[in-house]
Amino acid sequence: MKQIIFGMGNEAITEGALAAGARFYAGYPITPSSEIAELSSIRLPRLGGMYVQMEDEIGSIAAIIGASVAGVKSYTATSGPGFSLMQENLGVAVMGEIPCVIINVQRSGPSTGLATKPAQGDVMQAQWGTHGDHGIIALSPSSVQECYDLTVRAFNLAERYRTPVILLADEIVGHMREGYQIRELLPHDIIDRKKPTCPPRDYQPYDFSGEEDEIAPLAPYGSEYITRINGSGHDESGDACGRPDNAAKFNSHYLNKFRINQKDIIETKSFDLDDAEYAIITFGCSVRSSKAALKLARQKGIKAGLLQLVTIWPFPKEQVREVCSRVKGVVVPEMNLGQILGEVSKTNPGQIPIVGVNRVDGQMITPYEILARLEEVAK
Amino acid sequence: MNYMDYLKTQKFPLFWCGGCGNGAVLGAIVRSFAALDYTLENTVVVTGIGCWGKADDYLTTNSFHGTHGRALAFATGIKLANPKLRVIALMGDGDGVTIGGNHFIHAARRNVDVTAILVNNFNYGMTGGQYSGTTPENSLTSTSRYGHIEAGFDICKLAEAAGAPFVARTATDNPPAMEKLISEGLDKKGFSFIEVIAPCPTHFGRNNGMRQAAELMQWVKDKSVSVAKAKTMSPEELHDKLIMGKLVDVDGEDYGSKYLRVIASASSGNEE
Amino acid sequence: MKETWQVIFSGVGGQGLMLAGTLLGSAATGYEGKNAVMTSAYGVESRGTFAKSDCIVSTQEIDYLEVMAADAVIALAPVAYQKYVDSLGEDTLLIYDDAIETLPSKARQLAFPIAKIAKDVGNISSSNIVALGILVKITALVKEHSVVKAIIEEFWGKEKLINLNLEAFKAGLAISGSK
Repeated sequence: MKQIIFGMGNEAITEGALAAGARFYAGYPITPSSEIAELSSIRLPRLGGMYVQMEDEIGSIAAIIGASVAGVKSYTATSGPGFSLMQENLGVAVMGEIPCVIINVQRSGPSTGLATKPAQGDVMQAQWGTHGDHGIIALSPSSVQECYDLTVRAFNLAERYRTPVILLADEIVGHMREGYQIRELLPHDIIDRKKPTCPPRDYQPYDFSGEEDEIAPLAPYGSEYITRINGSGHDESGDACGRPDNAAKFNSHYLNKFRINQKDIIETKSFDLDDAEYAIITFGCSVRSSKAALKLARQKGIKAGLLQLVTIWPFPKEQVREVCSRVKGVVVPEMNLGQILGEVSKTNPGQIPIVGVNRVDGQMITPYEILARLEEVAK
Repeated sequence: MNYMDYLKTQKFPLFWCGGCGNGAVLGAIVRSFAALDYTLENTVVVTGIGCWGKADDYLTTNSFHGTHGRALAFATGIKLANPKLRVIALMGDGDGVTIGGNHFIHAARRNVDVTAILVNNFNYGMTGGQYSGTTPENSLTSTSRYGHIEAGFDICKLAEAAGAPFVARTATDNPPAMEKLISEGLDKKGFSFIEVIAPCPTHFGRNNGMRQAAELMQWVKDKSVSVAKAKTMSPEELHDKLIMGKLVDVDGEDYGSKYLRVIASASSGNEE
Repeated sequence: MKETWQVIFSGVGGQGLMLAGTLLGSAATGYEGKNAVMTSAYGVESRGTFAKSDCIVSTQEIDYLEVMAADAVIALAPVAYQKYVDSLGEDTLLIYDDAIETLPSKARQLAFPIAKIAKDVGNISSSNIVALGILVKITALVKEHSVVKAIIEEFWGKEKLINLNLEAFKAGLAISGSK
């Protein structure tokens, strides 16, 4: 095989899923994610895996959750309308603590929106779309190579932290073609969920006491252990439980497990930030426009730098706060009306201007728009 | 194994109301598990939400307690990912064929090898007796105080039309018949569907002048005709009747078995 | 040697504009260690309306994906030619089918019998590959043999398609040599 493949983001996502060991896909086709379904339907059975097209996205996420508890790494791909339908059972994966990967190739919304046009409007939905308090992991690729790498990482994080992970891609990175490498993964590059080692009669699928990372081992159905999965309030054994102290313990756990492991989960990338006086903070496809804007700004004598949020959720508060604490102004380009801007603003000590560059017309933000904003802030 | 081994007796008494049919169905299921030598480790009971959705609380097998209406979609993933598992979905009428109707017809059409046991008590019991997709026309419920104006589903016809290879209807007043049909359904390869008519005296009964379970069972009895007798009756005579017994039992290759051929084709590079 | 080439393949849906861009990108990234990015724009309909592929090839990292100032535009249909002809500057190469009526333009215009050549080598639908041959010959933005390898890879196992596309590519190389 040649080293570099010139391929589409959606292809690289599929290759990443397969490389990470995923062998089950259930989904409902939707633009601009359908290439993932199509390629998965071809590639999975060749690897002894399975592709099944469900009746809707509610069923799709249910099926991958079920398959995951049966011991097979599972994924689905969708876009806004389908992601909305998935919110109900995304909650089951949160509360049932089931590893799985949901790829959302974002498109313009609300509702059907501009079906073939890009957007980055599902940032808040990824965290808060399903009801109740909980943490989540969302990663956002900005290149075809990152589509591959972050999909592998999404599965690893899902397995390690017994959680759904959302790959928050967008139409631009999903459909663009670029050279990328199917990196060879060594056994230690692939993480599998913790398995119980206790005697079967002692096994409780939600007992995280004694686990430093607060993650309880998960035995697949069909093993010597009995696994009881519950999307209703439950105790350590998985049995329904309505005791207030138990509810408080577990509802806090759904957030805490991300907090205590955030060093491992959160990833950002820095460009030219060392001497920067102004920072661009962005993610996904807008990283591309921002990198071009950064070069234009430097040519014009504006000392700009860029912080790319690879992990969107949990939000990289410390990294953002650190950047905000040492620059004179921040520009946040995003193809929505300020969803990340709000999170960045929350971390701001309050002295510096933090402004957005926003587009919701289905068109990519241009480097010149970002440059113009940087120039305003630097004035 | 003894049927008691499948029951979490420490969770008794059952949460269901006096006169409710759910306990009898649960008994028939565990006796069938025992008769068919199901192991706890290899059995997964998937439940929805509702009174009958609490059934997994009392079982010692693997379990998956998911969301309202989605039991069959979870069950589909579980079974397809590990075909060796025995997967049983327990749903109510609101759960299985009202909010979950789409998953129901497609699981039947796809012929996934799971057994769906739907307890039909003609209303939403857990939330206070509102009407469901199976509530008979003209009945009173807590949301049809002026008489229900929608027709209820004939769920077995729905399952048959969707392609289920095994369809049966039974009721809690005849435990041996119920257990026999549940056992047959569990043992059947492919999507097998058993509708169990069960009384809800607390809501449906009380709202419709049948406060006692016995009155409700009599009402069911009066509506019931056997498969054999139904063959001699006209469509007009069968209107409003519940045909009891095994309605469909045909052979058809299940999804998982068919998919093995997809895997074989794909492995030899024949996708185009 | 030019560091970055910004190329637009334009025409109508169904003319293989994405394939042309993909082969160029594959040649650059897979066989020359360069960077390349391709994006496409098309209507909801798959065929018949204006469509284009932007392909950027560079020895440097490519940040922004869309072509901001085209170095070369290939127009395989009147609707595409008319869209670009007015707006291009003198540094841009405009390669188009000679069946399209020529309009005044600041761009460096080069008309070739692209569709006719494609028909001669066996299939009018190879116009995209003929055009790619013309582009590569005139600009040398990638090496000819890199495209040959990219074609063989793209159609691996399909001898007929490999031969058809290689012939179309070579015909494009040959005709452009005449200008």
